Amino acid sequence: MAADNPIDPIHQFEISKIADIQLGGIDISFTNSSLFMVFALAATMALFVIGLSKKSIIPNRMQMLSELSYNFIANMLRDQVGDQGRAYFPFIFSLFMFIFFCNFIGLIPYTFTVTSHLIVTFAFAGLIFVAVTIIGFVKNGLGYLRIFYPSGIPIFLAPLIVPIEIISYLSKPISLSVRLCANMLAGHSILKIFAGFIVMLGFLGFAPLVFLVVLYALETLIAALQAYIFTILTCIYLNDALHPDH
Amino acid sequence: MKILLKVFLLTAPINFAYAAEGQKSAGLPQMDITTFPSQLFWLVITFSLLYLFMWKFVIPRLGATIEERRDKISNDINDADNLNTEATDILKKYDEQMASASQESNEIITNSKKAMLDHLEMLKKENEEKVNSLISESQAKIKAQEEKSKIEIRNATLDTVKAIVSRYIENIPSDEEINKKLN
Repeated sequence: MAADNPIDPIHQFEISKIADIQLGGIDISFTNSSLFMVFALAATMALFVIGLSKKSIIPNRMQMLSELSYNFIANMLRDQVGDQGRAYFPFIFSLFMFIFFCNFIGLIPYTFTVTSHLIVTFAFAGLIFVAVTIIGFVKNGLGYLRIFYPSGIPIFLAPLIVPIEIISYLSKPISLSVRLCANMLAGHSILKIFAGFIVMLGFLGFAPLVFLVVLYALETLIAALQAYIFTILTCIYLNDALHPDH
Repeated sequence: MKILLKVFLLTAPINFAYAAEGQKSAGLPQMDITTFPSQLFWLVITFSLLYLFMWKFVIPRLGATIEERRDKISNDINDADNLNTEATDILKKYDEQMASASQESNEIITNSKKAMLDHLEMLKKENEEKVNSLISESQAKIKAQEEKSKIEIRNATLDTVKAIVSRYIENIPSDEEINKKLN
């Protein structure tokens, strides 16, 4: 059994049902994954409800934090996409906050990391991919196909370049989702493995403990960094859809 | 990706062991497609709620607060600029007034100096005139007194001469005769 094995690093990713719900023969049970999605939602809401409870000209700490995150994403979107990206700001902002809190809550021992499941990250990446493709065709018409043939490329290279561009375009959602999921999966597994080493080595466990502390700091960085990377790549894809000539 | 591979290699024996034992969770839990509908369902619900919350609540309020602050700051800067201009104007006016006042006072000083000198001159002249007239008056008085004294002396002389003469001779000479002799 997984619970019997103290160093099973995969156990933390197992999904266990909290409430069994069936809808038309489909299992949509409320699981630990769902619970931590709700936690991420609650954490985001708490941050902004507290941060916005007292709208003052001179902000207090929580207001500062909520405004910092707002400005951070708003500047990212403006830098990458420009003013046309304004309409997508609620989505980008929600995306960042959700992934950020999922990653961070997952770092707390005995919690579950929602973003360590490929289906979750792929749902985001797939949604972004479909949305960006639709936006691209709606804003540019068939001119959006130019992204598969960058300007300044000699025509005889087209048979080579166009398939490569198409493949790279189609692999975007895969790379986007796998990057986030793999980082979370790998990081948390290694943390668990080294935590297991501490237990197994007894007195000598201080060596992996030191390593674990350093690794935990690194994982904290990665949690923030991956949320940032996921969001900025979304902005870049969006920019490609809005300005295919670049 | 290297790290991921490492994890897979490290965990592979455990996972294979589970598979061999006929456990429900064969391999990574991530690959268990029976959990996908539930995950997707709750992801859609939670993320939609988050999106609505961000879209309808956070962004308008935060945007308004940030906008308000930006407006306030720019207004304050404008006010400060206006006050600065006003202060500069007032300083300029003050300098001008100071300049005109000093000019005025200079004029007043010059004028009063001139007036004083004029007055002094006038007084000097008046006094001189007075002194001159007094001198001339006195001189006239002195002259008159001299004349008078001369006549008195003459008369006294005449009387003396008459008295002396009448002692020695009967005939008393007339005043005209005596005067002729005296001159």
